[in-house]
Amino acid sequence: MTVNQNELLSALVDGELQGEELDDALQLLDTDEQARLQLQRFQHASDVLHGHGFGPRNVDLTTRISTALENETDFSEIVENKETAQVLAFPKQFWKQAVSLAVAASIGALAVVGVMNQPQNQLVPNPQLAVVESETAPMNVARTGERWTVQEQEVEERLNSYLVDHHEYAGASGVFSYARVVSYDVGR
Amino acid sequence: MNVDLELVQRVQAGDKKAFDVLILKYQQRIVHVITGFVHDPVEALDVAQEAFIKAYRAIPNFRGDSAFYTWLYRIAINTSKNHLTSRARRPPAVDVDAMDATNFYDAPELKEFETPESSLMSDELQQTIHQAIQGLPEDTATAIKLRELEGMSYEEIAEVMECPIGTVRSRIFRARDAIDKQIQEIMGEGE
Repeated sequence: MTVNQNELLSALVDGELQGEELDDALQLLDTDEQARLQLQRFQHASDVLHGHGFGPRNVDLTTRISTALENETDFSEIVENKETAQVLAFPKQFWKQAVSLAVAASIGALAVVGVMNQPQNQLVPNPQLAVVESETAPMNVARTGERWTVQEQEVEERLNSYLVDHHEYAGASGVFSYARVVSYDVGR
Repeated sequence: MNVDLELVQRVQAGDKKAFDVLILKYQQRIVHVITGFVHDPVEALDVAQEAFIKAYRAIPNFRGDSAFYTWLYRIAINTSKNHLTSRARRPPAVDVDAMDATNFYDAPELKEFETPESSLMSDELQQTIHQAIQGLPEDTATAIKLRELEGMSYEEIAEVMECPIGTVRSRIFRARDAIDKQIQEIMGEGE
């Protein structure tokens, strides 16, 4: 090997090659076994100076690894396939609105579950509520003063928390924009 | 541009020879790291081979957010641990973070996996190399110290030493060549 070639390999160890010189170094390493050994020795000297320890000096895994990678896909093919593949992507806004709709539907379902008992002589017309069929037992709802209450305390507390915790969806664009969710409890 | 990054980009573009250079650059260091887990030198080579193959397959996803060696180091550590797990042997308790890769050899818990002979050889090697540097002509010794100990680029060294970059390259090569000959003597090579 010439002095220039040795200098090239030494500079490669230091990461100081670019462009054509890097091409020349790669070509040299591909064709000259001595060049590969020399690069390893230079790299080892650098590693020892940096305190990277005592490792095997004349090990060359490139042949074993090259053989193992012979059947691997060439990355240039993968890049070409990616460029020609067509992916149909839904716009982000679609997913946002779909999620909002799903949440609003679940809130609405909770709000209309149950059957109201109305006294016969009340002046307020008895509203016809949609009954959502479900496998759970219906809740008993009664009117007490100015608010409707669910007689099962635990259910009322859970419904109350759910409505409050998801009130932010009331203003979701395109859905429920006019809704206002209020809490049963003072201060929430 | 960082030469490792350029090599990685060439590999990503389909140039497998560029990956060979990365192997040549880092195989010794990686094998040494793996030996800290596996101990058996032959087994360490197999695990190192597996680590490099995994790195090759994952290289399309490498974006340069970390240094290539740090990324490769992480793969080597995980491959070693998986190897030990598959062999029903417990890996070391200490988990060296990839960001501490450059400080790896300071970890006392991992030094216990070096044999006394290799540890002694490593210390002797370092001592010999430093003595070899002291015996070099002043400009040559300065150039290699600025490069290896201070981490300066060729351009920075040229500015400090007030000489052309080509002269820096030549001096560093001569220093490295002299160091290599000392290592050969210690390791009984070329006899």
